[in-house]
This record gives sequence, structure tokens and C-alpha cells, in this order.
Amino acid sequence: MAQIQRPKSFLDSLGEEIIRIITPVSICMFIVVILVSILNTDSSSASTTINNIATMAYAETTSDSFWDKLKGALLNSLVFVAIVTVVTFVLVLLFYLRCTQFLKLYMGFSSFIVLGFMGGEIALFLIRDFSVPIDCFTFLVVLFNFAAVGVLAVFMSKMAIFVTQAYLVVIGVLVAYWFTLLPEWTTWALLVAMALYDLAAVLLPVGPLRLLVELAISRDEDIPALVYEARPVTNHHSGSRDGVAQRRLWRERRNVGNDSEENLNSESSLDSNLTNGTVDGGHHTTRLARAEEGQLLERDAELSAPLIDRRSSVQVHGQGDAVSSESLLLEGIGLGSTGAIKLGLGDFIFYSVLVGRAAMYDFMTVYACYLAIIAGLGITLMLLAFYQKALPALPVSVALGVLFYFLTRLLLEAFVVQCSLNLVMF
Amino acid sequence: MEGSQTNSTTTSAAGPATTTGNPNSSSNSILSSAPVWPTVDGPLGLSEDESLSYARRFYKFGFALLPWLWAVNCFYFWPVLRHSRAFPRIRPYVVRSAAGFSVFTFLLCSWALTFAIGGEELFGPVWDKLVMYNVADRLGLTGWV
Repeated sequence: MAQIQRPKSFLDSLGEEIIRIITPVSICMFIVVILVSILNTDSSSASTTINNIATMAYAETTSDSFWDKLKGALLNSLVFVAIVTVVTFVLVLLFYLRCTQFLKLYMGFSSFIVLGFMGGEIALFLIRDFSVPIDCFTFLVVLFNFAAVGVLAVFMSKMAIFVTQAYLVVIGVLVAYWFTLLPEWTTWALLVAMALYDLAAVLLPVGPLRLLVELAISRDEDIPALVYEARPVTNHHSGSRDGVAQRRLWRERRNVGNDSEENLNSESSLDSNLTNGTVDGGHHTTRLARAEEGQLLERDAELSAPLIDRRSSVQVHGQGDAVSSESLLLEGIGLGSTGAIKLGLGDFIFYSVLVGRAAMYDFMTVYACYLAIIAGLGITLMLLAFYQKALPALPVSVALGVLFYFLTRLLLEAFVVQCSLNLVMF
Repeated sequence: MEGSQTNSTTTSAAGPATTTGNPNSSSNSILSSAPVWPTVDGPLGLSEDESLSYARRFYKFGFALLPWLWAVNCFYFWPVLRHSRAFPRIRPYVVRSAAGFSVFTFLLCSWALTFAIGGEELFGPVWDKLVMYNVADRLGLTGWV
């Protein structure tokens, strides 16, 4: 008896692709919220200001007046954005001069710093809070292992996908937690400033991230950057049809009119750690192609190179983070050459900073901001499908998140608390 | 009827091979359930020759006090461990990595548990000097953010 197979539409795998990018973002936010609620319960007053690059213009204290705090926060965020811009331009210059080896080394070095020192510090906070009786030798061995394998995972392009993705999420968590230690007004001003910077840097023709993306596309190279690339969605059900993908939403091709390579490229759907959309030139079309799996695998067997390597046109726009690694290219959402979605690590970090800051107030704001950010990410993905070029992933989500944070804090909380107190609802 | 029966046999034969996510191996899975791809990523991972050099490199680097790298090696080349006759060149490295990881973890865990459970009764005043939160306070490791 013949079985009627439902023809595959793009909707079947669209959900899976979106899930594969939303899941790591959610995990990152969740871990940051957990860390914030565990570690920050006693230091909520935070009278000690942390001297770092983001507060060098103004160290906020709780006793300043409203305008002082606002001015100070704006000044801090301006300084930070200026530093990030300069560093990104330096990055573009280095990439232009083809110092990719140096950039990769720097990336590995900064990952080691983040994983080793910041990871170690957060682990020490946890050990101290829970009085875990671990001795220093074991701790050092475990930390060294963790950091060394993390550097390898980030550095080498062919490590196990799951290990690389896990380490990128961990790096995002650590940097985001570090950012939540900043004073409150500075954090919010910084988020808004970075969203505006992202918008400008990716969309303006003179923006450094756009230059970087166009350079990488014209040279057909990968930007050495910390980018999360989701695993491609492979279609297990398409069997005997021709190799042409049935659902071709976005096409990313470097070779115009070369269908066989399209199919290969199309197999990896969402490998996107890069938050940058891939900018396509005139003849490229980004495509989330779902080729039939049978065909794809045959072609894979012919090529020995893994598909992940073929993501040259996906770029991640990023912003350097304040700690050490300006090579953390952060923002931007885009598509890999294989059609995988890439989300830059900076987007992970700033989303988690927003949610972490919301967690410092109450969990109600966490829920509201989480939903707002996911909605913003969905909107950005739709825009990415529509425009098919590199897009900044921060502005929409941060705008919605900040809006919902203040609305929740000002309006929803009063309503919910009063309702609960009077036993009207909940 | 025959059509459906052959369908079922091929799918069942392809069953063990699909652990690697590769229905393309259904052709040789009828003969032997050997996977085509040595890595856990399947067609997205490495080819067999590259796998050999990667497995060897991970194995050698693991001797620099990196048992976690050995564990990642075993995870990455899980199909090699599972199917004992599939990749004869890669298998020694992965098996040795697994053995090294187990031995190291056993030693480390036994030391850590002895330290944690024994506590001051076993070690005396040295325990306070070795435990991590005291070391962190003494060296001021949590001060600089």
C-alpha cells in the first residue's frame, strides 16, 4: 500500500530553525537570571562601584540626584560606545590588511581570559556563597581544563558542534553577568546606546560592521569572530525527489547559477551564531534551502569538506566587549553561506544583560522582558527573511525589552500587587 | 504488499545506521551497520582522514593535564567507539582517550571526595589552608572584577 507523503513546505522546518536559535538565547538568559538571583541577593545596594572600562567617566553612587545619575549614565555609555567604535574600526583595518591569524589568536586569547578569569571568579563567588569544600588543586585543574578546551572549541573551526555552541553560550553568560555588575542607570543607558550603535554600524554605509561584512563577502572569507551558528536543519523525510530544495526561502550562493553547490549550501540551515545576516551582493540571494536529504548526503560524501566551512558570506557584526576581547563581534543576525542562521555573541550578551538587570528588580519584569526580547528576535528574523542582508539584531529586541521593563515596573506591578493583596486575582 | 515489506526491511536495516543521522548509509547498512561518518556530527563533521589527525591531536594534547579534552574526544568520535570494527585507524586513539579520562577522573574524584569528606579531622590545620574559599580570600581573588 502506497503511503501518501505530505509534501514538505518551508513551514515544516521554519519552526525548527527558529527554535534552534531561540533555544541557546533562552538558555543564556536563563543562566544569567539564575546567577543574578543567586549571587546578587546580598549586594543589592551595590555601594561599591566597580572600576572598569564602562564606568570610567562617571562612577554612580546611590546618593546622587536624578539628573546627576542620568548625565553620568549617558556619559558612561557614550564613552563606551566610542571605545567600541574605535576598536571595531581597528578590527576592520586588521581584516583589510589580512591579519586574520592575529585576529584568531586574539579571539582565542580573549576567550581564555573570559573563561579562565571571569569563569573562575564567578565560580569562586558560588563556592563562597555555598561553602563548597573544594580544594585549590582540584579547582585549578578543573578550571584549566574548562578554559583550555573552551579556547580550542572557539579557535578551531571543526570541533564538535555541540561543544562549540555550549562554550559560546557560556562565554555569553560570563560576559553578560559581568555587565550586570555595572550600576543600574549606566546599564540601561548602555543598552540603549549599544542598540543605536548597532543600528548605525550595520545599516549606514560608513558603519564599521557593514564595511566588515562587505569585505568578507567580497573576499569570500569568514570573519574571525565569536558567532553562534545554529545547526542546520536536515530534512530526514525527503527521499526520492530531485535534489532541488523544495523550500527555498533564502538563497545564499557565491557561485551564481551553480545549482549543485546550492544544494550543499542549503543543507545547513541554522548554524548561526553569527548574528549578522549575510549581506548579499547583487547576485547573491540568501536562501534557507532545504534540499532533499538524500541528495545532500550524496553530495556530502563526494565532498570531503564539511558544510560548516561554507559559510563565508555570513557575517557577524559585533561589538567588542569591554573586558578584553574587542574581537567578540557581536551583533547582527544573518545567514551562513549554508543558509544557517548566525547570531553574534554580542546579541546574546546584551539580551542577557537586559534580562539580568530586570531580574535584579523582580521576576515579573524578567518574564515581560524575556517575552519582549523573543518577540523582537522573531521580528528580526522575519526582517532577515525579507531583506536578505545583514541586519542588526539588537535594536528591535532592546527597544521592546526596555519599553516593557519600564511599563511593567511602573504600571503592571502596581496592578498585580494590588490585585493580589486584595485577593482579586492570582 | 511487497513494496511495503521491502520498505520496512530497508528502514529497519537503516535503523542502526541512522544513529549517525545518515540515511545514505542504508545501502551498506544491510551488509554491516557501519556508519559512514566517524564524528557525532555526521555529514557536518569531519571526513575520515581529517578525523584521524584530529583524534590523534586531541589524544596527545590531553596529556597536558587535560582529561576534559579526552572526554570531548570520546564524545566527538562516539560512532567510532560504538561500532567496534568501523574505523580501525581512529579507534585506538579514542579508546585510549576514554581510558585516560576514566583513570584521571577516578583519581581526581577520589582526591576531591577525600578532601571534602575528610575535612579537618583528616587533614588537620592544612585543610583550612587548602580549601578554595580561604585561598580566594587570602589572595584577594574575588576583588578584581
